[in-house]
Amino acid sequence: MKDKINTMKDKNIKVNLFIKHMNQSDAMAYNMEYVAARTVSEFGILNKTYQGSGRLYAKLKTAIDNNTCSSPACEWEVAQLRRLESAPKKSLDFLSNVMAQLNVTDDKNYDVCQNSAYTVAHQIMTKRPGFGKNEGYNVAVNLLEDGSQEILFEGPFFEKPLIINSTTLEGLLNAQSNLVATTPDINKEMLALLSELGIMEAESNNPETGELTPQAKISDEFVLKNSDGSYDYEIVEIGNGKGRNILKFDLDKIMRKANPFINAEVAGLLSSEQETVAAWNVFLAQESSIAEDDQMVQNANAGYLTWDYEEVLPLSQEHKITFEQKYKDYFYNNYLLQFTKNQLPTVSADAAVFDLEEGKQKQAQAFLDRNPAN
Amino acid sequence: MTVVAAGVVAGGALIGGLISSSAARKEARRKEAQARRMNAKLENLEANRQEIINPFAGIQDLSSMLSNPFATLGVATQAAEMKIEQADISLANTLDTIRSTGASAGGATALAQAALQSKKGVAANIEQQEAQNQKLRVQGEQTLQRQQMAEQQRLQQADVSGEQFVFGQQENREMQQLNRLANQIGALRGQAAAANQSATAAMTGAISAATTSLGAGIAANEG
Repeated sequence: MKDKINTMKDKNIKVNLFIKHMNQSDAMAYNMEYVAARTVSEFGILNKTYQGSGRLYAKLKTAIDNNTCSSPACEWEVAQLRRLESAPKKSLDFLSNVMAQLNVTDDKNYDVCQNSAYTVAHQIMTKRPGFGKNEGYNVAVNLLEDGSQEILFEGPFFEKPLIINSTTLEGLLNAQSNLVATTPDINKEMLALLSELGIMEAESNNPETGELTPQAKISDEFVLKNSDGSYDYEIVEIGNGKGRNILKFDLDKIMRKANPFINAEVAGLLSSEQETVAAWNVFLAQESSIAEDDQMVQNANAGYLTWDYEEVLPLSQEHKITFEQKYKDYFYNNYLLQFTKNQLPTVSADAAVFDLEEGKQKQAQAFLDRNPAN
Repeated sequence: MTVVAAGVVAGGALIGGLISSSAARKEARRKEAQARRMNAKLENLEANRQEIINPFAGIQDLSSMLSNPFATLGVATQAAEMKIEQADISLANTLDTIRSTGASAGGATALAQAALQSKKGVAANIEQQEAQNQKLRVQGEQTLQRQQMAEQQRLQQADVSGEQFVFGQQENREMQQLNRLANQIGALRGQAAAANQSATAAMTGAISAATTSLGAGIAANEG
C-alpha cells in the first residue's frame, strides 16, 4: 500500500511539474509539428449532455397534458420534467464549481504532490496547448437519473477517466472541503505575524498599511545589556585584524513573547488540514529558505519528505506537533533571524570599526571592572 | 446572423461567463478559508492568553495581629502587699518603742486601730484599681472590635476592587482582540460575499447573453 502511494506521489509530482514547466517555458510555440497541426480545443462540453433532451421534454409534457403517464398521478413524469427544467442551471453551477476547484492548480504556490489528474483537467478546460481533442483528450457532462450530474475527463495523461459528481462536489464544498488544496501564502502571513508580535520598535510599522518598514528593528528591551546598563556587545571579526561590535539579543525573551502569537497562527492553519499539508509540502518539509522556496515552487519539491494527502489526513497529533515545530523554525530562520543577526550598535560611538585585539582586551577589562574578584 | 454564428457567440459568452464566475467563486472560497483561519486564530488567542494578575490578591487579614492591650492588665497587688507589710512593720516597731518606753495599753490600742485603717485604705485602693482595670478592658475590647471590623471592611473592599480590576482588564483586552479580529473576519466574509455576488452576476450575464444571441440567431434564420 505504502509503495503504491509512493508511486502515485512520484507520478503526481512528475506530471504536475512537467505541465508547470511546459506552461512556463512556452515550449509548444517552438514545436513546429504542433504549430502546423490542426488543433481542436472546442469540446462542446454540454452538447452531448442535452442531446435528445428536447424530445424527452416534449414527450413528458405531452404525457402529463394528455394524462397518458406511466406512473400513478404522473409522479415520475413530473419529477423528470422538473429535473430537465433545472438541469441547465445546475450544469452551469456545477461547471463553475469544477473550474473554481481546478483553477487552484494554476496558483504560484500550488502543491505538486496533489493528484495530477486535476492539473490535466484544468489544462483541458482552459484549452491549453497539447490538451486538445486531437491530442486524445475529451470532456463531457452527463445527466444522471437521480438528478445529479457528472463531468468526465479522459485522455493520455489519465490512468483512468477522472469523474466528478455534482452532488458529491456540492457536499464537499458545503463542508468547507476542496478537491484541490490551496497552499496558504506562509511568507505573506509570517511577515504580517512579525509585525503583530509586539517585539519591534513602535515606529517599525507603517501606520497606514500595518506592514514593517525597511527601517524596522527589534525593540531595545530585547537587547542584552550589562549590569551597569551598557550594551553587552559581541565582537565580530571583519578581516584585516579589525573588528566591530554587534548587538546581542535576549532570544528567550523574544520567543516567550512570540510563542502565543505563533501558536495562534498555527492553530489557524490547522483549522484546514488539507491546507496544512499543502503548506508543509511546499514550504516547511524541506527546511528551505525563502529564496529556495521561490525556486521550489518553480521546479522543485520536498520529495520523500512530503506528506501524502491520502495517507496523513486526518492529521495525527504527531503530525500537528511536527508541523508546529517546523513552522516555528521556519519563522525564526527566515524572519526573526534577519533582525537579530549582525545588528550594529545604536550608539554611534560603539558602531565604529576598531583593532580586533585591542577591542577584545578592552571588553575583557570592562568585564573585570564590572565584576571585581572580591 | 445564422444560428451557427449565434451559437458561437452564445458559446463564447457562456464560456467567458463560466471563467469569470469560477474565478470569483475561487476568490470567495479563498476569502472564506482565510476568515476561518482567522477565527481559529482568534479562538486560540482567547483561550491561551495570560491570566491577569489581581493586585489585591496578596492582601491578608491582619485582624489576628490586633489585641486588647488592657486584657492582661493586672492589679498592682504587690505594691499593696508591700504597703500592708510596711504598715505591719511600722506597727511592730511602734509597739517595740512603746514597750521599751513603758507606755500605756491605750496607746497600743490606738496604734492597732491606725494600722487597721491603713490596711482598709490599701483594700480600697485595690478595689479602685480593679474597677479602673475593668473599665479599661471594656474600652479596649470595644476598640478591638472596631478595628477588626474596619480590617474586615478593608479586606472586602480590596476583594471587590480586585475583582473589578480583573474584570475591567479582561473586558478591555477581550474587546480589543474581539474587535480587531472580528473586523478582519467581517471584512474577509464581506469580500467572500462580494466575490460570490460577482460569480452569480457573471453567470447570469453569460446566460442572458447566450439567450439573446441565440434568440437573434434563430430569428434571423427564420427571417
